[in-house]
Amino acid sequence: MASQEEGIEVRAPGLAVDFVDVSKEYLVNGNPLKALSSITLNIKEGEVAAIVGPSGAGKTTVLNIIAGLEKPSRGEARVLGLDLNGSNEHSLSAFRSANIGFIFQSYNLVSTLTAEENVELMMELAGWSDSGRNEKLTAELISMVGLTERAKHLPAQLSGGEQQRVAIARAIANDPPLILADEPTGNLDQKTGLEIVKLLARLKGEKRKTLVVTTHDDRIVEMADVIFRLENGSLGSVDRPARVRN
Amino acid sequence: MEVWEALIGPLGFATKSLQRRGFHSYLAFLGLTLTIAATTLLLLLGQDLATRLGVDSSMRSTFGISWLIFAYLVLALGLIGIVGLLSTSYLVSSMINQRMRDIGVIKAAGALPRRLLSYITFEALLVILSSCLVGALSALLVYAFWSWPSISLYKQVGPIADAGATILIVVPMISFLLAYFVASFRVRRIVGSSSVNAISKQLANLDLKSLGKPLRIRWLGSAFNLATSNVSRDSGFNKTLLSMGVCICLSMIVLSGALVSADTSASYVVRAMPPHVLIVANANVYNQYVSLATSFSRLTRLPSINYVNESYLISLQNASAFSTIPGVETVDTRLITMTPITGYVKAHLASNQDTGENINTQIIPEAETGSTNALIVGINATSAIGDWYTSDGFLQSSDAQYTMIAGDSLVGNIVQMPFNLSQVSAFGYRYDVKSALVDPLNAGRVLYAPVKALQRNLGVNGYNILLLKTNNDPTVLSAVSQLANSFGLVVRSQDAILSSNLAFLNSTWSHIFLVPILALGLTCGILLSYLATNFSRRFNDYVVLKVLGANVWYRLGLLLWESWGVLAISMLIAIPVAWAISIFFLVPDPSVSVADLELSTLVSASALTAVSVATAAIYSRRLGFTTVKDLKP
Repeated sequence: MASQEEGIEVRAPGLAVDFVDVSKEYLVNGNPLKALSSITLNIKEGEVAAIVGPSGAGKTTVLNIIAGLEKPSRGEARVLGLDLNGSNEHSLSAFRSANIGFIFQSYNLVSTLTAEENVELMMELAGWSDSGRNEKLTAELISMVGLTERAKHLPAQLSGGEQQRVAIARAIANDPPLILADEPTGNLDQKTGLEIVKLLARLKGEKRKTLVVTTHDDRIVEMADVIFRLENGSLGSVDRPARVRN
Repeated sequence: MEVWEALIGPLGFATKSLQRRGFHSYLAFLGLTLTIAATTLLLLLGQDLATRLGVDSSMRSTFGISWLIFAYLVLALGLIGIVGLLSTSYLVSSMINQRMRDIGVIKAAGALPRRLLSYITFEALLVILSSCLVGALSALLVYAFWSWPSISLYKQVGPIADAGATILIVVPMISFLLAYFVASFRVRRIVGSSSVNAISKQLANLDLKSLGKPLRIRWLGSAFNLATSNVSRDSGFNKTLLSMGVCICLSMIVLSGALVSADTSASYVVRAMPPHVLIVANANVYNQYVSLATSFSRLTRLPSINYVNESYLISLQNASAFSTIPGVETVDTRLITMTPITGYVKAHLASNQDTGENINTQIIPEAETGSTNALIVGINATSAIGDWYTSDGFLQSSDAQYTMIAGDSLVGNIVQMPFNLSQVSAFGYRYDVKSALVDPLNAGRVLYAPVKALQRNLGVNGYNILLLKTNNDPTVLSAVSQLANSFGLVVRSQDAILSSNLAFLNSTWSHIFLVPILALGLTCGILLSYLATNFSRRFNDYVVLKVLGANVWYRLGLLLWESWGVLAISMLIAIPVAWAISIFFLVPDPSVSVADLELSTLVSASALTAVSVATAAIYSRRLGFTTVKDLKP
C-alpha cells in the first residue's frame, strides 16, 4: 500500500521489517541509557512475529522504531522497504497513516469519538476522501468485530474487550500491510483476551496482514510464525513456535 | 488522638496529593496566582490613576469631562474586577474537575462523603489561600516598583498615601471567598454524584447528550471535523464559551469604551470651540479670553481686568462691518464679564404619599446653594458659534430674557437639578437656569445669557469680543485683520486654544489607556489558562493521533481549530455586544469613530488569536517529542 498523500512507494517484496545492528540509547538525567543493543531481526511479509521478554527488555522500543516514531541511534532499519533513518517526520507520518495499523494494550481510542468515528478517522488520516465509501467500510469493519449495536457509543461507554475490538477495526481500517500490537490482551481477562486472539488470527488468516505483536500471552505466541525473545535490550533468541512449545 | 487525626488527616492528604500531582498542582497554583495578582495590580493602578487624575483635574478641566473620565475608570475597574473573579471561578472549577476521578475512586473505596468533602476542600483551600497571598504580594511588589516618576502626570501630582490599601485587602479576600465557594460547591456536586461517572475521567468530561453527528464541513478537512467533535462533546463547552465570551466582551467594552470616551470628550471640546474661528477683540480682552479658554488645560492665574472698560467695547455698527467681508459666515457678538453669582433653589411644593392614600403636600422654601465668581457670557442665540453638548438645549431667541445656561462645573453646587427650580443671581437680577453645557471656557465655571439682558444689566451698549466663523480662506483673515486694525482690535485664530485643550485631553487619556491594555492582557491570560487546561486534558488523544500517523500539519490544524474555533465563536458573540454597549450606553451623546472601533477589535482579536496560535504551536511542538511510551492507560 502506498501513501496516497505523499505518493511514496514504500513496499518492497519479501521483508516487511529488516533491522540490521539496530541500537537505541536514551539520555536519562544526562546519562546514556541503552534500550536496544545491536539487534538484527527480519520479519517476512504475511508473517506473525511475537516479541516477548520481561518488562523493560525493549519490546515497545522495537515497536516504536518499526512505526517510525523513533529513529535508531545506530544501525539500519527498513520497514516495508522504507529506510527509516533517511526519512523525515512528515514522510514518516504519511508512511504510518498509510501502511501501519496500531493496537495498544490500553486501546487508546480517541475519547471524543464514537466507535465508528474512531474507525472512520483512520481512513481520513490515510487520505481517503470518499465519505460514502468510508462509511460503508466502517460499517463492515464494526460488524466484523461484532460491535454493530455499539457503533455509536463512546470509548468510555464500552468495556475493555469492546474497546480493543474497536481498536482492531481501526488498525485495519486503512488496509495497512503491517499491524503493530503492543500487548493487545494485557489489560483483558482470559475470556475477552481469547476473543481478541481470535480476531488477530482472522487478520492473519483472512486479511494476510503482517503482524508484529509484543506479548506475554501464550495464545498469541502459539499463533506466531517467529518469536523474538528480548532480554535487557538484546535479542536473546529467535524461535519457531514448535520449539517454543517444546 | 481523634482531634490530631482530624487535623493531620486532611492536611496530610492535601500536602501529599499536591506534591504528587506536581505539574498539575503548579499549573493550578500559577493560574490562580497570576489571575489574582493581575486583577489586584490592575485595580491598584486604576485607583491610583483615578486619584492622581482627580487631583490634577480638580485644578483644571471641567466637571462634565472629569465625570466622563471617572465614570469610564470606575466602569473599567468594575469590569476588570468581574473578569478577574470569573477567571478565578473558572480556574478553581477546572482544578476540582481534574480531581474528579480521584474523588470517585476514594468514594468508591468507601470514604465517608463528609470526610471526603473535607479532604478535597482542604486541598483546594491550600492552593487558593497560597495563591491569594502570593498574588496579593506580587501585585504589591510590582505596584511599588512601578516607575511612576517617569510619567509627567505623576510628577505633577506627587505621591499619594494609602492609595491601594483597601484594594490590596479586598480583592484577594473576595477572590478567596469566591474560590472557596466555587470549590466547595463543585466538590459537593462531585461527591454527591455517581461514583461510576466520577471514576471514568472520560465520561466526566464528555457531554453524552450532544453525541449525534457533529458538525462536518468536508472542504475544511478532517482536522476541522475532529476539532468540532472534540470541542462540542466537551461537557464544559457551553460554560467555557459563556465564560470566554463574557471575559472578551468585558475587556472589549473596556478597550472600545476608552476610545469612544476619549473621542467623545474631545468632541465636547471641539463642539464648544469649533475650528476655523477667528477671535476679534481689544488686545487686553483677547489675552484675557485666551487665559479663560485655556484654563481647562493650563494652570494659570487669571488677571483681573475691567471687561466693560469703554475702550474694550465694540459697537454694533463695527461688529456688523465684519459680516460684510466675503468668506465670513457668522459673526458671534459676545459681551463677557466676570462677576460674583449666587445660586438658589426656588421655593416649591413637594408632595409625597404616605403609607395610606393621603398625599402630603409641603412648601419647600427658597434655599441658597452658594456663591462664587463666574464668567458671564452675553450671547446672541441666533448667531452663537458653538454646538455645545447640553442637557436641555442651548439658548433660543424665544427664551425669556432672564434665562441662563450653566457651565458644567457649576452644576451640583451653585446650580442644582432639576434646572426648572434653579436660579442664579447676578448683577442684582435673578436668572432662571434652562440647561447645562460642557464648556472648557473658564473650566466650565461659565454662564451663558442673552446679550441684550446683560447689556441692560451692565448699562453698556456694545460687545467686547467677536467670534467669526470663516471659510478658512487666507484672504479672509487678511481682510478681517485689516478691518480690525482700523478699529484698534486684534485678530487671532481660535485653533491654537483648541489644540492646547485637545492636547491636554490626549495626554490624560494616554495615561488611562494603560488600563484597557492591561485588561486585554488579563483576558489573554485567561484564554491561555483555558487552552492549557483543555489541551493538557486531551493530550493523550493527540498522542494517539500522532502515533496513528497524523502528520505535523494535521496536528497543528486540529489544535488551531480547537483553540481558535472556541475563540472565534466567543468573539463573534462578544464583540457586537461590546460595540453596542460602548456606543449606546457608555457615554451621553457619544462620538463614535468607526476606525477606532475597528482598531479596538483588531487589537483584541489579534492579541487573542496570537495567544491561541502560540498555545497551539507550543502543544504541537510538545506532541512532536511524544512516542507510544507517552500514551497513558
